[in-house]
Amino acid sequence: MRHASTGQVAAAALIAAFLFLFLVLPVATVMYVAFTEKGTGAFTLVNFADFFRTELFVRSLWNSVYVSAMSVVWASALALPLAVITTRFAFRGAALVQTLGFLPLIMPPFVGAVAMQLLFGRNGSVNLLLDDWLGFKIPFMEGLNGVIFVQSLHYFPFILINLSAALRNIDRAMEEAAQNLGSSGFRLFRRIVFPLAMPGYLAGASLVFVKVFDDLATPLLLNVKDMLAPQAYLRVTSIGIADPMGYVISVVLIVASVAAMWLSALATRGRDYATTQRGGGGLARRNLSRGENVLAWTAVALILLLVLSPHIGLLLLSVATIWSFAPLPDDYTLTHYARVFGESSVYIKNTLVYASLAGAIDVTIGTAIAYLVLRTNLIGRRWLDWTAMAALAIPGLVLGIGYLRCFYGVQLPGGQPLATLWIMIVLALAIRRLPYALRACHAALQQISVALEEAAENLGADKARTLRRIVVPLMAGGILAGFVTSFSTAAVELSATLMLVQSNSDAPLAYGLYVFMQSASGRGPGAALGVIAVLLVAACTLAAHLLAERNQRMKGDVS
Amino acid sequence: MLHRRALTAAISALGLLLSGSAALAQTGKVTVVTSFAKDVTDPIKRAFEKAVPGAILEVQNRNTNAGVKFLEETRANNQVDLFWASAPDAFEVLKGKKLLQTFTPRATGIPEKVGAYPINDRDGFYFGFAASGYGIMWNERYARANRLPEPREWQDLARPVFHDHVSIAAPSRSGTTHLTIEAILQGEGWDKGWRTIKDMAGNFRQVTERSFGVPEAVNSGQVGVGIVIDFFAFSAQASGFPVKFVYPSVSTIVPANVGIVANAPNRATAEAFVEFLLSPAGQEVLLEPSIRRLPVNPAVYAKAPADYPNPFTDPRLGRLMPFDADLSESRTAAVDTLFDQLISFQLDGLKAATKTLHEVDAALARKDNPAARRLAGEARDLIAAMPIDAAQASSAEIRAAFAGGKEKGARQAELEQQWAAFGRERYAQAKQKAEEALKLAR
Amino acid sequence: MSAAGISIRGIDLSYGNNRVLRDVDLEIEPGEFFAFLGPSGCGKTTLLRLIAGFARADRGTVEVGGRDITALPPWKRDVGMVFQSYALWPHMTVRSNVAFGLEERRLPRAEIARRVEAALDRVGLSALADRRPSQLSGGQQQRVAVARTIAIEPKVLLLDEPLSNLDARLRVQVRRELRDLQRRLGITTIFVTHDQEEANTICDRIAVMNEGVIQQVGTPMELYERPANLFVAGFLGSANMLEGTASADGRVFETAGGARISVPTGRSLAPGAKLVFRPQDAILADPDTPQSGTNLRGTVSHREFLGAMVRYAIRVGREEIAVDAPFRAGDALLAIGAPAAVSLPAHATLFLAR
Repeated sequence: MRHASTGQVAAAALIAAFLFLFLVLPVATVMYVAFTEKGTGAFTLVNFADFFRTELFVRSLWNSVYVSAMSVVWASALALPLAVITTRFAFRGAALVQTLGFLPLIMPPFVGAVAMQLLFGRNGSVNLLLDDWLGFKIPFMEGLNGVIFVQSLHYFPFILINLSAALRNIDRAMEEAAQNLGSSGFRLFRRIVFPLAMPGYLAGASLVFVKVFDDLATPLLLNVKDMLAPQAYLRVTSIGIADPMGYVISVVLIVASVAAMWLSALATRGRDYATTQRGGGGLARRNLSRGENVLAWTAVALILLLVLSPHIGLLLLSVATIWSFAPLPDDYTLTHYARVFGESSVYIKNTLVYASLAGAIDVTIGTAIAYLVLRTNLIGRRWLDWTAMAALAIPGLVLGIGYLRCFYGVQLPGGQPLATLWIMIVLALAIRRLPYALRACHAALQQISVALEEAAENLGADKARTLRRIVVPLMAGGILAGFVTSFSTAAVELSATLMLVQSNSDAPLAYGLYVFMQSASGRGPGAALGVIAVLLVAACTLAAHLLAERNQRMKGDVS
Repeated sequence: MLHRRALTAAISALGLLLSGSAALAQTGKVTVVTSFAKDVTDPIKRAFEKAVPGAILEVQNRNTNAGVKFLEETRANNQVDLFWASAPDAFEVLKGKKLLQTFTPRATGIPEKVGAYPINDRDGFYFGFAASGYGIMWNERYARANRLPEPREWQDLARPVFHDHVSIAAPSRSGTTHLTIEAILQGEGWDKGWRTIKDMAGNFRQVTERSFGVPEAVNSGQVGVGIVIDFFAFSAQASGFPVKFVYPSVSTIVPANVGIVANAPNRATAEAFVEFLLSPAGQEVLLEPSIRRLPVNPAVYAKAPADYPNPFTDPRLGRLMPFDADLSESRTAAVDTLFDQLISFQLDGLKAATKTLHEVDAALARKDNPAARRLAGEARDLIAAMPIDAAQASSAEIRAAFAGGKEKGARQAELEQQWAAFGRERYAQAKQKAEEALKLAR
Repeated sequence: MSAAGISIRGIDLSYGNNRVLRDVDLEIEPGEFFAFLGPSGCGKTTLLRLIAGFARADRGTVEVGGRDITALPPWKRDVGMVFQSYALWPHMTVRSNVAFGLEERRLPRAEIARRVEAALDRVGLSALADRRPSQLSGGQQQRVAVARTIAIEPKVLLLDEPLSNLDARLRVQVRRELRDLQRRLGITTIFVTHDQEEANTICDRIAVMNEGVIQQVGTPMELYERPANLFVAGFLGSANMLEGTASADGRVFETAGGARISVPTGRSLAPGAKLVFRPQDAILADPDTPQSGTNLRGTVSHREFLGAMVRYAIRVGREEIAVDAPFRAGDALLAIGAPAAVSLPAHATLFLAR
């Protein structure tokens, strides 16, 4: 570790100020209630004692832990075959899988759940057909198991992306050495390949765990209320109740999420194998025999069909006239699209602007924090990292309320409150999605040998120029991945946005969806808007993938 | 984004004659926070902007709770002119927090009450502009497939055949559902009322968190029957969904309201909007198929289609219960929390006990058994039992627990835990007794 | 451990249009320490990976101990390989790394423990058995890699540039250790390197490779003394190569500079052949008193004093040749620009083509 330069100190101070102003302060103004005594307002922990004395909350806590853990298990079951097939075999559909496998993350709020109900609900297409043909139904969407089902489909891309990257980075010699000593097939995978990819897998799995733990939309739409995040939401948004428990639960959520991230970091500490491996290139891709190819395609097709079923349902819904208690819609129409195009182009434009700005802010800060953490010995640099990661666990609603509290009183020249500026939506989105970009940038920087930077400094480049000319270009792939994740998830974010949208002309797509999904006749247009959102984000993702591939090829030519 | 810039210029614009009464109102942009869907706000916005040239209605769509929270958080620098939503109790909360201001509309021809419910706030803080009735909505395809009879009355929903087929919104989340629960409690009394509610609740498929969650589930056929406000069903029918709706003979008619926010930046245009809503022109917009709400001006029904329900003349909607708004207000939090802790969060236990009791009834119908009948009765009493009585529900002590406030005393979390434990234990005991009864009856 | 020979017959291997190995034939004797030597990209590592099963030939067979293993996957070949990067698994301790191959063979637990101990003992690492690879020095890692491979008692040991990641001092020590180890085990070993000194010092025989073709196979001395072609001559040690033309009868070779050198009887000159000789075999003579034997005339263009000898660069016509002259105390050095005559004893001249 080298000594910090003034530039680094300044950057750290700037980021700290940003995080304090737009994350810590707004959240603190909302959360402090959790620590105050009723009546006097004095500091107390009695509310936390209440939390653990209340059967509902304790049950909710365990349910949340159970659902999150099981979601990780099922998400792994979906992601593992896809990651292995696309990285370890010469499989023609690899690019397709990696692109389509990303889509489930982009599920617009409300419509996604309606589409899932229509397909997998108690009287959804699948169950109606099952009941007709075989006389039984499968409760896909009931209770905690329903939440696990939906969440695994929704969040498994986090594991897919991270695991695939980790598998690709394994030195080929690691695998060959094991084969040479007599290991092959599944044993080889279990004993050598998977353990080596473990850091990547754990990074993805912990992200899934925390996201499921903190997600309130899915349980609520499935009418599961005895989980922690829905309990917090229900309490924070109930009218006329001045109750600290909502904020107490939020504090528990944050603590649990940070603890989960910390545990996964602890488990992988000193085991970042990618950096200790030299030369050799990526894993050997084995050719598939004809039979294996059929098997691989079948597995891939089945998994993709399952994880993309919400999108298929969404597409059907967007062209359906009436779809009620039937395996398929009664009839098809394109009028919903006509209505959406007429009314919603402003939402689409806003979404693109907000999500790209948020993504840009995220990768800038993410790169800076990653650099400070990995390459300097600044005191408190880890705190920047942890603080930024804590944003993962802040309910969007709490952040939204915090922004109103902190910035609505601040007047711009002309009397307009600061909080009504659309830039506040961008900042809220950026804070909410910062953890994704940060993790991607962190991983990218970790894989770059310090020697490359030292070489640049040795040739006369100062720290700033080294960063700009050597580090950032080498990190480009990771930065791009971070941008894509931030961008695409910000594009369908609702909870914080809903609180901050001040006028229709500033509203993003998610708000438009929300407005449509409040009435029976808005279901079709809402779904159409959802399809447009998904296509839009998918197109951007694909473009980013192509860009990354070209970038990779260029780098490959040099080395 | 900087839409306020245009505002100062527009504010000096002149208003127009409205609804027969000459009102000189200023026009310009006016911001409304509403829980109403686009289907409702769009036609009214169009009509309003046509009737008052120069006025622009800026709609901020938020659900009722979020809307209240928003006004609360931004009161220091308020930019909103109007609050426009269904639930009267949300307006009560806003009024209590001094977030509304008084106004005296000039509109004429609007009676004092619709059904038993006063149309306007007696202090002039908010005004009813449309009425809606609560009722039962069901999906015809679902009903056919599951051989459900057509429901007519609330009590029908407690019948075994409807077990696991009924959906409702949580009263703590839906002001209108809250009024329905409160109406039943007032109509039948505290203990009998809760017994009726819990009998129905034993058949609930789900308790949703959003009002619209219920009609949505019925529309897509995921749930057969929903307890909903009428316009949800009417607009679903207008969109072509295979759903039907009925007002039970004891229904609640409640007004949907609009109020001017305290310190509204565009007070004049806000007043113009309230006047427009209450004018015959504004009332007539409510008859549009996508809206289908009941106007509060009886004269407007002359222009309505023949089968349009009219709460002012319909004898079925006329059989009304007295409604004590003060009593309702005094125990809002207690009633909502009791429903949540005893029903929403204990639904599994309650349903399990109810299901067994349905089986006991079926067995007793084939062959009577007095001992079993007695046990079943005891089980029903256990289910119906309440942790507090009517007087306690309105007591100062319990109100203080929910109000936060300055006083020390019982905390909300403590009460909730007590009530939840009360329900959980009794449902478990009821299930045990019902099982014994079932053994005897078979 | 009974040593096994290796027979490689008619191997062709291409990646796309790039022919990496061309018609390779090779016989390696049981117990031999054999080297594949050549510049990078010559195909030596590919040939090694082919024996281990990581590359697949378009044509040809590989036999180990008389058994055809061409079609076997790597894990069934019983051919131990030490990787250039060592490929120690970072998630396992030293002990687990060494035990891995034995566990894969489902040996009894006690047997595994015994053989792991023995292997670690053999490389002197018993004390570090519970460390992780990242806690070891480069030399220690290399020894773990060797221990891991010999623990399974393979028929053949393959070493892929095992010394390239070590510093110069360690290299000399480790190569001696490797040689001793191989002697003790008596195991057939193939050693891939681009460093002729490494190959010369420890190997019984060497196959020199270039552009996918085996140029020559022989003991280090054979290769040095009687290189088969210009490539081998140039790759092993330094050699002067002078262009020229053969007379019609093939008895005389005339260099571009005009010197005429008689071709020893019994040797024929291939087309494009060059005159080849080692710098230390040539003798600097007084230009005024011609010596017997072949004489090349030129001027001193450069000189390096190396202690035991002086290396002169002599310009002969358009070409420059190197001549090493032994230095004895009191000798006078030739000055830059001074005329010089180089005499070549007949036994020291070779005529080699590509």
